[in-house]
Amino acid sequence: MSTALNKARQLAPRAIAPSWTDRAVRGVVVVAALASLYAMAADLEISLEAFGKGGEKLIRFLGAMVPPSDGHDPMRIVRALGETFAMAFLGTVLAALAALPLGLIGAKTVVSDPTLHFAFRRTPDLFRGARALVWALTFVAAFGLGPFGGVLALAIADVPGLAKLYAEAIENADEKAVEGLRAAGAPAPVMLRYGLFPQVAPLMASQTLFYLEANFRHAAVLGIVGAGGIGFELEERIRIFAFSQVSFIVILYVLCVAALDTVSQQIRSRLA
Amino acid sequence: MTELPAPVAAFEQARRRILRRRRLDALLGLLVFSALLAISAQRSQFFGADIGGDPLGRIGVFLGRMVPDLQAHALLEGRKTHGSLAWWYYDLPLWLRSLRQTIEMAVLATVAGAALAALAGFACARNLMPIPAVRFVVRRALEFIRTLPDLIVALLLVAAFGVGPLAGVITLTLSTVGGLGKLFAEANESVDGRPLEALEASGAGLAKKIRYGVLPQVLPGYASYALLRLEGNVAAAAALGIVGAGGIGIELQRAITYTEFDTYLAILLLIVGMIFVIDIGSELIRHRLIGLGGKR
Repeated sequence: MSTALNKARQLAPRAIAPSWTDRAVRGVVVVAALASLYAMAADLEISLEAFGKGGEKLIRFLGAMVPPSDGHDPMRIVRALGETFAMAFLGTVLAALAALPLGLIGAKTVVSDPTLHFAFRRTPDLFRGARALVWALTFVAAFGLGPFGGVLALAIADVPGLAKLYAEAIENADEKAVEGLRAAGAPAPVMLRYGLFPQVAPLMASQTLFYLEANFRHAAVLGIVGAGGIGFELEERIRIFAFSQVSFIVILYVLCVAALDTVSQQIRSRLA
Repeated sequence: MTELPAPVAAFEQARRRILRRRRLDALLGLLVFSALLAISAQRSQFFGADIGGDPLGRIGVFLGRMVPDLQAHALLEGRKTHGSLAWWYYDLPLWLRSLRQTIEMAVLATVAGAALAALAGFACARNLMPIPAVRFVVRRALEFIRTLPDLIVALLLVAAFGVGPLAGVITLTLSTVGGLGKLFAEANESVDGRPLEALEASGAGLAKKIRYGVLPQVLPGYASYALLRLEGNVAAAAALGIVGAGGIGIELQRAITYTEFDTYLAILLLIVGMIFVIDIGSELIRHRLIGLGGKR
């Protein structure tokens, strides 16, 4: 066996037996990485002791979650879930309406001016970091408690991403249909309607449905900052340590998420 | 009117039928959509909401309160001077510390989450885990974690672990496991099976198969996914502070509570800037990892 091994060693010495320097470098990198992770944990005052103490409490909380209880008012929770869906739906629709013109402007094939294109593509990146919750915090401060701020927050948080997806869908559409219409002397609205729309509409619709699914998840937490929906009910019950009701709400919510995802998947597979 | 030839008539009929069905579908879809829209508008009280006068005016007033009262002549003066930049960013050292902590939370959670996700990814990959029951359980667990919104988990963990970064790190670790576990499993399942067969033929066990057959193929993909996740985790960590789970979000929440809206804007700008820088850095690294280095 040694001849084959020797030959392999000659051909690729570093693959068979890494040199000592390679190993040393690798060791130093690993130690440095571990040390910096440890330093970070220390800076955040994360200790095993705190972890253990909190863990014990958490297990007690989880124990208190069974059996789930509806708190004698299940309709209130159903209503809150309905409100959460309403926020998500309206927010998605508003975001789609705003993203549509932006997507057209952002598509290289529609508007070819490079400066405009660059500005359009990079500006949304600036806002990508601001999550719906941050917007909700802002809008609740501006408009007071209630779902109004939540709807606006969801809509505004979605516009950059949705506009980008729309722009990409439009860019990827086949040019030939539009060219044919142009050659036949069709005005711009007709070109959009018969050349572009049939190609991009199913794709855009299914991307919008993805955003609706995501928004239902986002909407569930907006209540924490006072923007209505199921998040408000959940936070209230966690604050008063009513964990049996918390688990009831979470189970109901997870079922709703699964139902929405299934329906949306059905529609998307029909669109494709 | 002249009689159409039979095939043309049949074609016309079929076409009319298809068009009619399409129109019916579209109409039905439109009806359902409008109904949902109407119910949503009603349930969320979007149009009837009493938000105190005209909404545009409210936005204007609010934006006005967010813009700091900077004075051109005093811009570079010290902290005590009204209207200087230092006066606007009066608590900058504290905020920078909070920003550092936010990034640390994201890094720790991404590392811990990616490590756990790698284990989970092996445990639910069809080509590596021979026991179907384990695959099933791990997959369902990952799905469940993905369904729970971060902030709900954070609320619960803040109640258990107290206000501070620990609750945030655990929250982000959990959601990272949920997200990356699925992606890692998919990467594992799409590896080239031939090296695995060769290793198996030469008598390698599962650990050796993973080390020499799978890891060399999937590691660049793993790293790229993890970096993408890091970007998301930084943004999420910034928001988690709002429920008390550590990081810059706590300062954001404090500024809102004390109605210091200009301070709020100052911190918001810091967060947006931090995320922008991290996104660009991570994008550069990711493109190099997947071999796009020269193209951008």
